[in-house]
Order: sequence, then C-alpha cells, then structure tokens
Amino acid sequence: MKLKQLNIVLADDDMDDCIFFKEALETIKILTNLTTVQDGEQLMQLLTSENYKLPQVLFLDINMPRKNGFECLAEIKQNEKLKDIPIVIFSTSLDVVVVDFLYNAGARYFIRKPAEFSQFKKIIQQTLTLIMEQNKILPTRDNFVLSVPSLLSYL
Amino acid sequence: MAKINQYEKYDLITAHKEISFHKAEMEKLLMELNIARKELVFQNDEKEKRATEKEIRAAELIVANQELAYQNKEKEKRAAELSIANIELAYQNDEKEKRAAELGIANIELVFQNDEKEKRAAEKEKRAAELIIANKELAFQNKEKEKRAAELSIANIELAYQNDEKEKRAIELGIANKELAFQNGEKEKRAAELIIANKELLAFTYVSSHDLQEPLRKIQTFVSIILENEEKNLSDNGKYNFERIQLAAGRMQQLIDDLLSFSRINTTDHKFVTTDLNLIIEEVKADLKDKIQEKNAIIEAKDICDVNIIDFQFRQLMFNLISNALKFSNPEIPPEIIIKCKIVKASILNSDKLSLGEKYCLITIKDNGIGFEPHFSERIFEVFQKLHSKEVYGGTGIGLAIVKKIVENHKGLIIATSKLNKGSTFDIYIPA
Repeated sequence: MKLKQLNIVLADDDMDDCIFFKEALETIKILTNLTTVQDGEQLMQLLTSENYKLPQVLFLDINMPRKNGFECLAEIKQNEKLKDIPIVIFSTSLDVVVVDFLYNAGARYFIRKPAEFSQFKKIIQQTLTLIMEQNKILPTRDNFVLSVPSLLSYL
Repeated sequence: MAKINQYEKYDLITAHKEISFHKAEMEKLLMELNIARKELVFQNDEKEKRATEKEIRAAELIVANQELAYQNKEKEKRAAELSIANIELAYQNDEKEKRAAELGIANIELVFQNDEKEKRAAEKEKRAAELIIANKELAFQNKEKEKRAAELSIANIELAYQNDEKEKRAIELGIANKELAFQNGEKEKRAAELIIANKELLAFTYVSSHDLQEPLRKIQTFVSIILENEEKNLSDNGKYNFERIQLAAGRMQQLIDDLLSFSRINTTDHKFVTTDLNLIIEEVKADLKDKIQEKNAIIEAKDICDVNIIDFQFRQLMFNLISNALKFSNPEIPPEIIIKCKIVKASILNSDKLSLGEKYCLITIKDNGIGFEPHFSERIFEVFQKLHSKEVYGGTGIGLAIVKKIVENHKGLIIATSKLNKGSTFDIYIPA
C-alpha cells in the first residue's frame, strides 16, 4: 500500500458533519487533502471546472439543498471524465430500498453516519484504506454497506 | 447294182413297204375326202336354207325390236315416274317413322304421367284423410284455447296489479340506488382521502424520523468527542453523566427506527411473492453476523419450505425474532436457535382467526434462552410492553408488536410459548 496524498472531496450541507470529518481525517495516518462543498450544484461546478485535478474519492451526502446526492451521483456517472471517481455515500439513515438503488446506480460504498466519534474515525479510515487498496475493484452488494460496531451496548 | 449291200437292201424294202402303206392310207383318205365333200355339199345346202330363214326371222326380229324399243321407252318413262314416286314414298315413310317414333315417346310420356297422376290422386286422398283428422284435433284445441284465454285474462288482471306494485318498488329502488351511489361516491372520496393521508403519513413518518435522527446523532457524536477530548478535565461524575446522555440518545434512536418500521408495515404496498424461506434466514444471519459471532450462537434451519409472503416484511419479522433470541439468551449458555417448517391443516388448532380446512405453513422458532412466564405469552406482543427494565435488557418494546402486525398482514397467527429459563418457542401460521 503506497502512501500517497489522497485528494478527497466531501459534499455535505451539515457543518457539524464537515467538522467531524475534518477532525477524523487529522487522526488518520494517511496524507489527505480535503475540499468541502455545501450543496450539489457547488459540487458539480467544482468537479467540472476547467483544469480541476480530480479527487481520488468523493464522500457524498444524500440530503443537500439545490441538488441532492442522487442527482449528483447520476450526473457524475454519466460524465466520461468523472465516472471512475469512487463515490462513498455518507448518509444519516439506512433504508434497504435506497441502499439497493445506490448500489445499482454505481456508488462504491455506503456508510451510515455513525453516532460515536470513535466509530466515525474508524469508518473513514477503513473506507479510505479499502479504496486505496482495491482501487478499481467494485464491491459486491453484501460488502457495499460499511459499518463499525458501536462501543456502547445499549441493545 | 450288185454293189448295194444288205443293209441298203433292207432299207429299200422297208421304204417300199412304207410307201405302200402310205398309198393305202392315202386312198382311204381320198375316200373319206369324198364322203366329206358330199357331206359338205349337203351341209351347205342346209346352211343356205337356214340363211333364208334367218333373214325372215331377222326381218321379224327387227320389227319386234322396234316394238320392244318403243315399249322400253314407255317402260323407262314409267320407271322414271315410279322412281320419283318411290322417292316420294320413301320420304313419306321416313316422315311416318318419325311421327311414329314421336308418338311412341309421347305415349311413354303419357303413360308415365298417367302413373304420376294416379300417385298424386292417391296422395291427395291420404292428405284429405289426414286433414280431416287434423281439423278434428284443431277444433278440440280451439276449445282448450278458449278456456286458456279466459284464464289468461284473469291472470292479466292480476299481473297488471302486480306490475303497478313493481313500479312502485322500482321507484323506491331507484331512490335507494341514488342514495347508495351517492354514498359510494362519498366512500370513494373517503378511500382516496385515506390513501393520500396514508401516503402523507408515511412521508411524514419518514421525514420526521430522519429529521429527528440527525440532532440525536449530533448529541451522541459531540458527547463522544467531549468524553474523548476532555477526559482529563472531567470528573468521574461528569463522565458518568455524559455516558448516560449517550445511552438515552441511543435508546431514542432505536425507538425512532422501530417506529418507522412499524409505520411502514401498515402503509406500504403488500405484494405477496412465493419465496424460499432459507434465503431470508441467510440474509438475517448476515445482518446479525457480528452478534452471532460475539455470542457463539448456532442458528439451524430444518425442513425449510417455500412461503407466500411480503418479502421485506417477513425479513423484518425473522430479524426481530432471531435478534430477540440472541438478546434474551442465557449468558452462560451459547444461544441455539432452531427454525423449522411444517405444513398443517388449520383444523388442528381451535382458533377462530384461521380459516378451517385451509392448509397453513407452520414456522417454529425455538431458542434456549431465558424464556418468560407463560401468563405473559400474549402481553409480549403489545406495543411498548417489555418484561424487563431497560437497564437489564435494552429495547423499545416494539419488536414483537411489529412481528405480530406482520403476521396479521399475512392473515396468519402467532403463538408464543415458554417457561422461565427453559427457552421460548414462537409458532407462526402462514397460509400455504
């Protein structure tokens, strides 16, 4: 596993989640360069701007104003230049129908935003490691949803 | 002359004899000639006589011939006339034969027609006889008809009266139908409103659960950050308080998830598909694989059959039951969960909830966990009903309520049996 600087784009309108993400990245032993956008339109403008260096992974929230995650996913997959960027869906809720849809639409992984910060850090580390190691290999539907067990046992 | 030899002498003698013979012969011949000459003279005389007769005859013949010639001409005229007459006769004979032939055909035709006429005549007599019988029959039937007609007119009066009654009823029915149509219209409006309301409810439930989860997650995340980063700055009490906040938030999250599941069961489409139950069991095992591994649990499926079910609902059902079995396990004993299928007839159960005589698939989920007291066997299915405090066993108290609702959606029945610490058995009856 070659350590290289990962260019990451995070599209999420939630300020807290962006802060969590940034802080999580700081604790990970991978060199990263993070760009955040607040809505789908901003994202597409960024990705399609001239001479823009494409990111190695895109974390995409579903519920964003102006253009949501579904629309962005579809547009990116139809764009010759952008369609190979690994897209990790980063969402608040977990709905089987939605997850199936996203898998079929070409997303690489699905993560439900975890409640504990330790989980947050772990899941991002896991995801980035997976993407770096398996660059072009697409996961099966069983391996599509990534999760990290909770430390709290309130079940 | 002496020199004539013997032979020459002989020859002379012979010749001399010869000449003598011939002389005699010639004399004979001369005599004959004379006779003949005389005969000839006689015959010539005869001939001359004959000749003169012949001339007389010839003259007579000529006259006769002339007569004959004249008669021949007459005969030829007669013959010509006769031949004309013959031709005429022959022609008339032909005509007569044609007539005769025609007459013959005509006769045959006449004979035939006469036969036909006789047949017709015979048939007419038959018809006449039959007509007489038929007329007698008709006369009888006419009398009967007159009787019927009299009865009918009485019946008609009765009918007319009943028709009046029917028209009155019809008018009343028309009014009733209008009323019914109006009410149906109202019902359809209500049904449409209900469908919209359900859809709105589902959307509302989804959005509200989603929007409730976000601040909840933030609470949990920030609390976990504080506990991590401010560990040194917090007293034990402070840490404890924050942990309680985390637990409370976690319970709320679980509750939102469960309420969302519960609402989905009522409001989404119900599509029944024949599915291999093994597939669903495998999926649930995959979802719970961490817990299964943690508890060293064994989940066995035996005699599993195909079932006619609503896919996502039944998956929820199996998930809830199996995760319950894992949760309510004996801490000392690794959980053993056995799932079995059997086809049964409804009549073996005395239940008014099942259609008697129909075939049902009995799915049994049996565990070796902590069980429950038998008198709680129905209460556990009620919403928000728990048998333990949340401290001992977490949970929202909705899981089994969801299971029961799903079973009801499938027109089935669920029965729980247990003894404390002797494990629990859940029997689910689903129409086969």
